[in-house]
Amino acid sequence: MKDLFALFRLMLRLRRKSMLQGAVLTIVVLIAGVGLLGLSGWFITAAAAAGLAGVGATFDVFRPSAGVRMLALGRTVARYGERLTTHDATLRVLSAFRVQLLNGILGSEFSEQVKLRGAQALNRLVADVDALDNIPLRLILPVAAAISTTLITFLMLWWLTDFWIALPITFGMITGGLLVSFIGMLRSLSHSAAEEETGQSLRAHLVDVIRSRDDLIIYGQIETQKIRLLEQLNEFHFHRRKIDKIDRQTGAFLSLLLTVLTTYALWAGYQFAIEGVFSPALSALGIFATLGLFEAIAPLRRSATEMGRMVVAAARVRPNLIQKAPLASVQDLRIEVVTPLFQAHAGESIALVGPSGSGKSTLLNQIAGLIPAETVTVGGMSPAFIDEVELRNVVGFVPQRIRLFSGTLRDNLSLGVENVSDQELKKVLQLLKLGTLLQERDALDLKLDIHASGLSGGQARRVALGRALLRKPKILLLDEPTEGLDQFMSLEIMQNIRDYLPDSLIIYATHSAEEAQWAHRIVKIQEN
Amino acid sequence: MIWLLQAYLIASVVSGMLAGDSFSWTQPEISGFLVLGFTKVVLSYLSDKKAAEVADAIQDDLRREIIGLEASATGASFSFGAGATAALLIEKVALLRPYLLRYFPARIRTMVVPVVIVFIAFYYSWAVGVILLITGPLIPLFMALIGWAAQNASEQQMQEVSTMNDLLVDRVSGLVDIRLLNASRRVLSDFEIHAEELRIRTMAVLRIAFLSSTVLELFAAIGVALVAVFLGFSLLGEINFGSTGAPVTAFEVVWLLLLAPEFYQPLRDLSAAWHDRASAAAVAQDIHNWRDQVRAEIVRPTGRDGGAFLGLRARSLSVRRGEAVLKFPDIDIPDGSSVAIMGPSGSGKTTFLKAMVGLVELCSGELRSGDVVLSQTTIEIWRSRIGWMPQAPSFLNETLRYNVAFDETADIWPSLKVAKVDGVVSRLPDQDRTYLGENGAGLSGGEARRIMLARAVFASPQILIADEPTADLDRETANLIVESLNMLKRSGVTVIVATHDEVLARQMDQLIRIGGAE
Repeated sequence: MKDLFALFRLMLRLRRKSMLQGAVLTIVVLIAGVGLLGLSGWFITAAAAAGLAGVGATFDVFRPSAGVRMLALGRTVARYGERLTTHDATLRVLSAFRVQLLNGILGSEFSEQVKLRGAQALNRLVADVDALDNIPLRLILPVAAAISTTLITFLMLWWLTDFWIALPITFGMITGGLLVSFIGMLRSLSHSAAEEETGQSLRAHLVDVIRSRDDLIIYGQIETQKIRLLEQLNEFHFHRRKIDKIDRQTGAFLSLLLTVLTTYALWAGYQFAIEGVFSPALSALGIFATLGLFEAIAPLRRSATEMGRMVVAAARVRPNLIQKAPLASVQDLRIEVVTPLFQAHAGESIALVGPSGSGKSTLLNQIAGLIPAETVTVGGMSPAFIDEVELRNVVGFVPQRIRLFSGTLRDNLSLGVENVSDQELKKVLQLLKLGTLLQERDALDLKLDIHASGLSGGQARRVALGRALLRKPKILLLDEPTEGLDQFMSLEIMQNIRDYLPDSLIIYATHSAEEAQWAHRIVKIQEN
Repeated sequence: MIWLLQAYLIASVVSGMLAGDSFSWTQPEISGFLVLGFTKVVLSYLSDKKAAEVADAIQDDLRREIIGLEASATGASFSFGAGATAALLIEKVALLRPYLLRYFPARIRTMVVPVVIVFIAFYYSWAVGVILLITGPLIPLFMALIGWAAQNASEQQMQEVSTMNDLLVDRVSGLVDIRLLNASRRVLSDFEIHAEELRIRTMAVLRIAFLSSTVLELFAAIGVALVAVFLGFSLLGEINFGSTGAPVTAFEVVWLLLLAPEFYQPLRDLSAAWHDRASAAAVAQDIHNWRDQVRAEIVRPTGRDGGAFLGLRARSLSVRRGEAVLKFPDIDIPDGSSVAIMGPSGSGKTTFLKAMVGLVELCSGELRSGDVVLSQTTIEIWRSRIGWMPQAPSFLNETLRYNVAFDETADIWPSLKVAKVDGVVSRLPDQDRTYLGENGAGLSGGEARRIMLARAVFASPQILIADEPTADLDRETANLIVESLNMLKRSGVTVIVATHDEVLARQMDQLIRIGGAE
């Protein structure tokens, strides 16, 4: 709940003007609605009374009828404006939230990044944010509008008729409406939250299954996974049905409230008219006002059952909307490593060797600032304290595991660089021995589909290598750069990389003795 | 419909007030109003319930179909990524609900309520009837015009939802790559474009919906106002035409006035439901596209079943890869032997292995194991005898133990030992109950690969198929893997590997080289 209001304050801060406009317009709409029914009802009744009394000629028909038309038009136009402003403002805020959330993910710790699953990101950036549009549109605005409309109607009715007509109708309506919705909210809270949770886990699980489909098929596990998915679906639908039921009941009780209050208005109006306290016309006003007021109460039904979703989503979104502070910048390009002790300078090539699991990859990750370490410094500073953008501009790193993205080969290669010529892209592909790729296919426009299956594993690795080379880093870190290539080609590619970046410091991890020999220096990494 | 009667009662009470009747006369009407109100609540509750049941059933069927097809032994879909499919399953099917709940009831009401009201109106005052008759039909007409635009806008919105979801799943799986390339800002601005596009398209849908409902409200309001003003003047006696038979009474006027908005209401409901219908149609289109996409028909149902699986024989196999057709050499792998498939990067080694387990559609050729031709009917049994080691390890969001054994209670340590990864696992924080990232984050590349080997070993296979089993491993560890493979072979397992590793290849009984495309 706390998160919910905090998020609403944030929304207000971002779009205060349009939100306020929307709120004002909502109230205008509702009051016009109440006024319209009341006034036209009064007009008719009064006109009838005048007609019966034979004073038709002197009865002022123009002002009330003009009022009726003005209210009708005003209401319609105001409603249109209200809907446009509030929805537009809300959608803008949500769009900004999504971007901010992704920004948070992009800037989060390495250890969190590798563990984040695609489906989780979908849940955070799509489903959670979608649920948030309810906060202004279905919670705050309707409730605020209902309360203020009721108050104004109460004062108007009191002034025009009697306290004992105005009070029961308006307060009965608002307290009854809020009470019924509140009970509905309490009853549906757990189901609504559970529906959102199961929906999200269903989504995540489906994405998981689709990604590992081949393996699951071969191991005969796909049926089991399907059954699990269907179980989750059943649970998901179970909660939906519960919520629907509560929603229907809430709706029924609200209509019941309307019936009872209208009956009261009918009875009370009749009493006053009989006793001659005031004219029948004014007595009828209460009935019409009751009917009009219900329009302000009806939307509370939706607010009630959406509450659980909102609470769950808000609690997850809010902590991730916090920004981080920037850090220091790089001074020089000397790398110092304490264990094993070595220094590296521009223009050098250093091979890291050692058995699997000895920490070659960890060391490279530390230099790249992905894993925090006190034993590594770049230019005299711990990489963790260097400004991210600056560090990336200086240090290029091709880890063992790479990912290409859907899009063309050109998109993938130029991901890290602005305005690079096709000439340059082709040059890099050539020096990485991917020239055949250029001849055999539609060159750079080769589309890597969503499963990135256009290239073989080895080719994809070299595309990733090219992607890093194009950024011309001063320090280039490579983890098993030529894995899967034959010896001759590996050495040729290493030499090509050196020629392309003559002044850079190149540090690479390798398990091939021949490839290690190519370096100026070999550093042995021992398991600790 | 009950509202007609309720309105009747309100009207008689109000006219009673005007006439100054005694209380005793109106009491039955007030209580009648109350009873009718209760009846209305109960009836609409029941009808809502019925509609919800129908909607539940339809949504349930659709979602089951999506899960059923996505989680079955068919090929991957090419136009729908995992993100888009997930969006289809949850969000888009949910969009059908308002349509299912509202459209049909609205249509039925539209056919009944306005007609009855027009009759009542004509009965008392032909002029009111005419006003209703003229303004009423404008609503459906207008609505139909707008329906086209609405559907178009909805389709574009659906499209953008899919695009954004796929983009997100794609980018998030490479967060570290993005970071290392300093492409965060680029990715963010890409995403921002899509998020904004989604907002604009959603707003376009809403704008049409709001505009049409505003116009309809306007029609309704003008209609009601005309009726009200006309009736008001009639009562005053300033207008003397338009009534059917005797001049209108106060009772009739109040009743007609209360009924007038009800005449328009079903029409307005219907037009609101028209928008639900438009977005439902867009979803339906999406589902249609999803159903229609080309899925690889895995193994063609030819040949006879039965007989024993022994080794593997391939004859004139070819598969389509993009534009090109890959042809594979004929091979004969005797039971219990080992084979290395070698070839340059991109020559189709992985595709060849996938063909052997029925994961890619064959253009031509036949795969046979012993007497059994691999077909749709035999492939399940064939797969149950295979241990599979993919090139890129992937992990379900489950414990390591489950990822190896697909069983939370199994003892996987012997298999881990065979794959020489037991030491690594015992050092993990929760040992074999550790949760790993989707690509095996938490382990090194080589370790993740060895977990995949352990999984293959756990399946106690007759045939082990491994795609680059020694990639990312130093010679020392690679030799351990080679040893594991040899050990399996000695225990009677047929071993098929695709590899670049000459050392591994030399250990195999057979060496098959495959060339480039065409």
